Amino acid sequence: MARKRRSSKNKKSQLPLVLGGGGGVLLLALAAAMVMKPADNAGDSPESRFSVADYRQDASRLTGNTYRLKARVENIETLGNDRLVAVSLPENSQERLPLLVRSGVTGRVNLTRGDTFVFEVVCRNGKDEQGLDVKGIMVVENVETK
Amino acid sequence: MKAISYIRILPLLCGALCVQPLYAQGLGKPRAEQEPASQPQSNPQPAEQVVSPRIGQSHVDTESGETPNPQVLGMELPLLDPSTDTMSYNGAKFDVGNNALVRARFEKYLQQNPDDSTEAKRYRKKLKGLLKLTQKSARTNREVGSETLLQIGNGLYEMNDYEGDGGVSGALASAIASAVSVQYANRSRNRKNEAMQREIDDLVEKTNMMTNRNTGRGRSTRSGAGGGGSSDNSTTNTFAIAHNTKQIAKMEAAGVKNDADSIAAMEISKVNFQSTIVSMLMQRRFDHALIGAHAYRHVFRDGDTTLKLDSDSQAARLFEGGVGMPPTVNAMATIASNLRREVDQNMEAVANMLAQNKLSDATQSLIQAVAVGEYMQSVATFPAESRRRIAEFWSLRRKALTTLNARDYGALEQIAARMKELDPDFDDSMLTSYCAGRKAQSDLHLRNAAKALQAGDDDTFNAELLKAGSIWPKNPNLEKGRQKLEQLDNQDPVREEFRTLMARKAYRTIYNEQDKFEVVALDPELKAQYKEAITLIGTIDGMLEQLEVAARQDTTMGPCMAYEMLLQRGAEDERYQEDSRYRDALNRFALGAHEFTQALDKAKLSEERREYGSALSNYYRAQCLYPRSTMAGEGVRRVTEIILKAKF
Repeated sequence: MARKRRSSKNKKSQLPLVLGGGGGVLLLALAAAMVMKPADNAGDSPESRFSVADYRQDASRLTGNTYRLKARVENIETLGNDRLVAVSLPENSQERLPLLVRSGVTGRVNLTRGDTFVFEVVCRNGKDEQGLDVKGIMVVENVETK
Repeated sequence: MKAISYIRILPLLCGALCVQPLYAQGLGKPRAEQEPASQPQSNPQPAEQVVSPRIGQSHVDTESGETPNPQVLGMELPLLDPSTDTMSYNGAKFDVGNNALVRARFEKYLQQNPDDSTEAKRYRKKLKGLLKLTQKSARTNREVGSETLLQIGNGLYEMNDYEGDGGVSGALASAIASAVSVQYANRSRNRKNEAMQREIDDLVEKTNMMTNRNTGRGRSTRSGAGGGGSSDNSTTNTFAIAHNTKQIAKMEAAGVKNDADSIAAMEISKVNFQSTIVSMLMQRRFDHALIGAHAYRHVFRDGDTTLKLDSDSQAARLFEGGVGMPPTVNAMATIASNLRREVDQNMEAVANMLAQNKLSDATQSLIQAVAVGEYMQSVATFPAESRRRIAEFWSLRRKALTTLNARDYGALEQIAARMKELDPDFDDSMLTSYCAGRKAQSDLHLRNAAKALQAGDDDTFNAELLKAGSIWPKNPNLEKGRQKLEQLDNQDPVREEFRTLMARKAYRTIYNEQDKFEVVALDPELKAQYKEAITLIGTIDGMLEQLEVAARQDTTMGPCMAYEMLLQRGAEDERYQEDSRYRDALNRFALGAHEFTQALDKAKLSEERREYGSALSNYYRAQCLYPRSTMAGEGVRRVTEIILKAKF
């Protein structure tokens, strides 16, 4: 369901070498096609899975990673125009994942409790009012309806 | 007349038993002095000092308006007040029923078997026969030495052989025999006087004849003592006349002496006989007194039945009944007769009251009956079963008096209850209310003592304790107080141990041994600490019991709830964390809610490391496991606010 997109540039740079190979052209082409395919069925790939349990264990380890998550909105806390949305992932509805939704990120999408959306999130570190670290927060970059 | 004589004679009869100087001998005490003198504040009236009177002087204050008792030979006569069953003597009042000698005699009577032996029956039959015989003979011709008198004397001598007679019949028979002997002696003297009178008459006649002859007026010249010639005869007659005259004078004197002797012997005999009758009346042998009184008229036929007493004496007034008539043997017979009838009526009333279970009244009547007519048939043959019932009630009454004197009010109430059980008509209200009052007084002093002890006022404590013990020595609360005092004596080591345990915060040890450490609560300084320890452990135990129940009812969220509550309480009050049972329970519930506790722990750890994403996610996890968790809820709110305010 979720797909890790961090290593796409490296794979592109290796492509001429692979193509240069005699026997693996077809195979690589197929693999590349699968990699470049849009994430309609995100999460099918084992390495791309996002685990809330891992996040709970050590969120700062995931800093900088981007995820595309299909999740159901369970709760919304608001401060000004910013919102902190607690979502549950379909494979583990007993877990809650906090997502920070900044003002204007949702565009025309209206986040409502009980509905499922596709969130593009990035794990980031920030600073509080005293300038101290606020680590491992999932910040929403984009929201789409399911 | 009957009532007056009964009331006045009864003291005389009982006097020898009841009111000898028992007070001085310690055998009986006036009611006023039976109250324990040491009872503090028990009697608001000031104690009256008892001043012993001089011998023969009445204790009664004549100025008080109370009529002094009559006196005989300078000694005061005891008088009975039938309305209260008390005897007044020398200014003191005695309860007839509460007197050592009366008690002893009455108890002896109650323990005796009814006198129903063959010999006793024969004796009473003879006595009854003699009574009838004497009454009958008093109406018929009476003669000294008659067959009737002989039968009376023989009958009395026969009755004297019976052991229970006590020699009374013999004494009466002897008195009759003695009186008859005097009568015979008087008769013999009368006969002598008559013979002498005849001799005197002869001598007078002879002397007259000799005198006439000397003067020549007589017919015979040979008569006289000497006879002979005229001048010689004249001389001889003169001497004979003188001799006769002397003889006549002698015989006249002898006659007069005989008469005087007869009168004196008769008077002495009457006095002796009357004394015998009076003594029998005093000994309460009324049947014998009656026989004696009837025989008296048989023996002394001169019709004089006046008692040979000084008419001005108190004893004479006692028998005359205060009506101004001279005391007579007949009056004694009347008194004896009335007393016999009173006793018989009393015994009849006793039987009726026993049939109605009125034991109290029956006992009172029986005491009077026994005191007056102990030797009468109706009293002597009183059935054994009835005696046993009255003996039981009497025994309780004695115990009541003993326990009252001993101030054992608890036992006294039990005795009163038993008496009420035996006799539903028994009025125990005065007894029970008195007991209740005294017990309350004692308890009040004990309470004051306890307050003084708490205040550290030793003097007041001692005084109040003494008062409580004086009023009711067997107060069960006194024993508790004694135990408290023993604890106080040992309280210093206990107090030290208590302080050590408090310093170690070993509240549960104190709680487990609270009986031992209760004594430190008497110390104002440690009282608060003792209460604190007991209250704290009590609260913890109560809370743990409730949490155990909740955890059993909901095995999913119950342990989470219990764990969180214990954690919160421990955070609020550090003393909780010192309790071993609290810690055990906390560990046990943490094991049962390990996912929840793990999530909270991780959340806190992450929050401390400022990894707010992980922290919030863990708080969410804890909230999922136990939605009502306040710790998780607060964590969520706190971290959410931080994240929302942060800049990324």
